[in-house]
Amino acid sequence: MNKKILMIDDDVDLVQLIKPVLEKEGYQVAAAFDSREGWDLFQSFAPDVILMDLAMEHFDSGFVLCHKIKNSDQGKNTPIIMMTAAGHETGIRFSTQTAEERRWIRADDYLDKPIRPRDLLAYLREKVFHQSDAH
Amino acid sequence: MHTEPADILVVDDELGMREGIKRLFEVQGHHVDTAACGADGIALGTQREYDVYFLDLKMPDMDGVAVLDSIKKVYPEAICIIVTAYASIDTAVETTRLGAYQYVAKPFAPDDIQFVFDRALERRAYILEARRLREERERRLLEVAQEKSRIRTIMNAIGDGLLVINQDGELVLFNPRFLTLLRINQTLVTGQPVLDLLPEALREQITEILTKKERLQGIEQEIVIQPPAKLVVMANTASIQDEQGRFLGVVSVLRDISELKNIELLKSQFVNMAAHELKAPLSAVQGYLEVVIEKTLGDAPEIYDGYLRRSNERCLALIGLINDLLNISRMQAGTVKREIENLEIGGILRPLTEFYQHEIDKAQLTLTLTLDQPLWIAADREEIQRVFQNLISNAVKYNRPNGEIRIHGYREGHYAKISVQDSGIGMTQEEQERLFEEFFRAKNALTRHITGTGLGLTIVKSIVNAYAGKIEVQSTFQVGTTFTVSLPLANARRKDEKEK
Repeated sequence: MNKKILMIDDDVDLVQLIKPVLEKEGYQVAAAFDSREGWDLFQSFAPDVILMDLAMEHFDSGFVLCHKIKNSDQGKNTPIIMMTAAGHETGIRFSTQTAEERRWIRADDYLDKPIRPRDLLAYLREKVFHQSDAH
Repeated sequence: MHTEPADILVVDDELGMREGIKRLFEVQGHHVDTAACGADGIALGTQREYDVYFLDLKMPDMDGVAVLDSIKKVYPEAICIIVTAYASIDTAVETTRLGAYQYVAKPFAPDDIQFVFDRALERRAYILEARRLREERERRLLEVAQEKSRIRTIMNAIGDGLLVINQDGELVLFNPRFLTLLRINQTLVTGQPVLDLLPEALREQITEILTKKERLQGIEQEIVIQPPAKLVVMANTASIQDEQGRFLGVVSVLRDISELKNIELLKSQFVNMAAHELKAPLSAVQGYLEVVIEKTLGDAPEIYDGYLRRSNERCLALIGLINDLLNISRMQAGTVKREIENLEIGGILRPLTEFYQHEIDKAQLTLTLTLDQPLWIAADREEIQRVFQNLISNAVKYNRPNGEIRIHGYREGHYAKISVQDSGIGMTQEEQERLFEEFFRAKNALTRHITGTGLGLTIVKSIVNAYAGKIEVQSTFQVGTTFTVSLPLANARRKDEKEK
């Protein structure tokens, strides 16, 4: 069974770029362009991993959706990878240092945008699906 | 001894006496004037101040006391020696009481009068020296007073806050700006301790110099003062020394740089946003090209058509964005070269609607253009085209299939009004408020696939403002938006000429 990846990102370019690459790699990919669509697709598509943009309708809409998914029965064990360009644009570092932050923001990892397709594939293989070889 | 020639006036009705005294002192190098009666004596003696007066007490027209009196009224310090044939004690007392310096009794030997004269000259020298010192002191006092008031005026006129504190931390000088900058409402008195009233950072600055008491380099730092209003102040504190280099106190100059800081912040925000907006399409293009080059999706070239087309679109968008940025920057710098001509709005709008007809058809829209009357404005053709290009392009992009665009031109007072109405997706209240912000674009599911720089309306507004016009927006979310541009009509007479 192919692994299922849900992309939630309002960056149409990124989705158009990444989705075919992931599919070519053998993943099953669904894409949502905002939080609401993301939540709906999460429930119907039941992904193995979620790649999510941090700032969609609002700068923190990714966190809010992440929180919602992680607090659902269906999503509590689904890895969520946050993708954001905010880090190097604003200087904000998304470290979850306090217990309070960890309890609230339960993203499993953060990736800096822009993300090169090749790097994303390697990341998914090694860090998410723990495969040593390509499909 | 008095070495300079003295001015002497002799008032005596006896010729022998006048000539005798005159000869005696002229030989010694002094200058002697004479008067033969009391009236002449008064006339001469009050015209200028002589160093020594010799006054005869008994003259036919008036007595010497009257002459003495008149001279003393004009020159209270005049040295008058009374010459009298009536050497009575009474007369002597009377004249000295009236201000005579001394009296000499006739007849007298030259030595007698010489002795009195020499002492009179000494006295005169003291008087002149005292007078000189007094005048100098008065002049200095006046200068100091003027200097003080001048400095006070200058200090009050300075836009920077000024504070001078002595080495004990007591107030020496300040200007009103100092009080307003630091929001000090109480009345300050020279000599009162003032350090506790200052914001901490400024107090530390001053205290550092106060405690070291050395000829330090001045300290310059930004101080944030709050509350009530946040204020950024550049504080410059330096020590004050006297000529011997002894420490006297400190002077602080406070400059309000809040506005500057604010501009800096806005500028860096703009650069940040511009960088973000430039980077996004470029990153996309780079990603597409990388996939194409690495043949990530396979060897068949046609797989990549979409990527290449999309790359091309993004590059065009980038060029558009850069053009917009250059436009804005030119407008902000005021270096736009405008060729003002009389333009008829219809002559601008008709070709534009034709230009957009293809896109309008493609989006299945209908456009109607209604002009109630010819509307002449005086403006640069390209700029006015850019205004309506942006508005029509928005009306196309943010519309719905089978939607409408209505453009209506009409006159209202001295203004040409042009409304561009679409039946599109509309805007929320929040979106309307932020509409003219640089890079603002409504972000929701309906606008996702609409491209744009977020600068179009910023440019439109700048142009309209440049012609003393205005732009208004009226919008209902998911129903549609109407932009109305008002531009001043061109001079009525010229408009009539054009119409003839």
